[in-house]
Amino acid sequence: MSHAKIGVVLLAVTATAWSVASFAQGRTTSSPDISGYWELPLDGRHVPSARLTPRVTQAVLQAQAKADAKAIRWCNWVGMPTTMDVGRPLDIRQGTREIVILAESPVTPVRHLYLNRTTHISSDVFDATTSGDSIARWDGDTLVVDTTGFEPTHGVTAIPGGGFRTATSHLVERYRLLKNGTMLSVTFTWTDPAVFAMPHSYEFRYQRLEGGYEARPYARCDPFDAERATFLERAR
Amino acid sequence: MVSIVSRRGFPVARPLTSGALIVVVCITGCSAPATAQRGTPAATATIPDLSGGWLLLDAEGSGSFDGTAQRFPPAELTATGKAMVVRGDGRNVTPNGGNTAPHQAGEAYIVNNGACTAEGTGGSGIDPNSTAIFLLQSKDEVLLVREGPGGRRIHMDGRGHPDLAKLAPNMYGHSIGHYEGSALVVDTVALPEGAVQGGGRRRPETRLTERFQLAPDGKHLTITYTWDDPMLYVRPHIYQHSFERLPEGSYAFETWCDSNDPLQRQSVVPPKQ
Repeated sequence: MSHAKIGVVLLAVTATAWSVASFAQGRTTSSPDISGYWELPLDGRHVPSARLTPRVTQAVLQAQAKADAKAIRWCNWVGMPTTMDVGRPLDIRQGTREIVILAESPVTPVRHLYLNRTTHISSDVFDATTSGDSIARWDGDTLVVDTTGFEPTHGVTAIPGGGFRTATSHLVERYRLLKNGTMLSVTFTWTDPAVFAMPHSYEFRYQRLEGGYEARPYARCDPFDAERATFLERAR
Repeated sequence: MVSIVSRRGFPVARPLTSGALIVVVCITGCSAPATAQRGTPAATATIPDLSGGWLLLDAEGSGSFDGTAQRFPPAELTATGKAMVVRGDGRNVTPNGGNTAPHQAGEAYIVNNGACTAEGTGGSGIDPNSTAIFLLQSKDEVLLVREGPGGRRIHMDGRGHPDLAKLAPNMYGHSIGHYEGSALVVDTVALPEGAVQGGGRRRPETRLTERFQLAPDGKHLTITYTWDDPMLYVRPHIYQHSFERLPEGSYAFETWCDSNDPLQRQSVVPPKQ
């Protein structure tokens, strides 16, 4: 074998090794890697007030708030959008087929952002969930996540800035690394003819936690803790 | 695993024998991200693709919840292990306190207290039940999640376990992992006191080693569990679970739970015969 051929093969082997290692580590070579632990600081929220449709009256909002309080009281899975702001760090892990978001909370379902399909699961077969069906794609250095299929009555439905999720809610999130990868900007845009007069957008900026961070075990949510129940019901 | 094949279909490793050293050096230099996983540089090209959904196979258990576990070799416990009282998390009311006697038609079996917990919707993925497990491999961490809240974090960044005295036992324990050839090997401590399948016991000091072995077809996975604790076991307690990869395009469900719903507490309602 000539030196030239050996060189070509070596390059191929090298590229394959890199590709396989990156694949198994959950990364593609062309997109940013947002894997890590992310914390939402006190000054990390930019949340304008939502413009709601006239149909969303004070009575509707009060009923929705009451349902949310009941969900918290009974330790229901909270779902979106609360998963993204539970007061504890998010663990985001990026693979080739999907990105998983795991919050440090006993009541937040795991989010799966699927990179391996471009259309939503048909509503004929998809059972609506508190997190919805999320498909994701990279648009340059921005991860665009499109979510539909929300369950309108389960979990905490309140949306920051006003309004709430319904069966017709459509959420588009744009994830982008800032400040040399130490900050993660997520812009949320909700559209829903049943709730919003115009698309409602807000932004969270998460700070990357240091390497070696250990997720803390969380206390179990106990719906039968009488003292807790009294406290929560007194607050209503 | 990916084998490297030339255009003509012959493995390229053979003609490269004379240049093997150069290849190893090259791979070493080009695979820095993977070396953080404590795998040897030569092993980086064999990191198994475990990411995706996996469903527990119950080939020998007749579909019952504990049928598979019944064929496990029974744990050989020390006197201390035998004397250890296993307390549940308070959620399950069977078999201790639950009425498992045959019920009349229409009389539901009440099997838990209704509390929605991660334990009740798939658990930690150690000794998994019938809901799928989902693995995601990233550079520093492998996630193992279920169809409810919570998940196991398997640290792959070379860290060790924290001092047990400073670590609260929890249902996921503390896990660190590394790759050995085509297997992911996970070491876990800090699990709370409790039962282990096959008649075993565990406490925070008990060491669990799991070996996630991908089959050559990439569609089957075995996890070999080894529980070791000289205080509890005469010899390590070992058993294995088998899994089948969910088809491409599969997605995770959400196991809904409402503690306020009386139906949450019950299992089968015997029908009229």
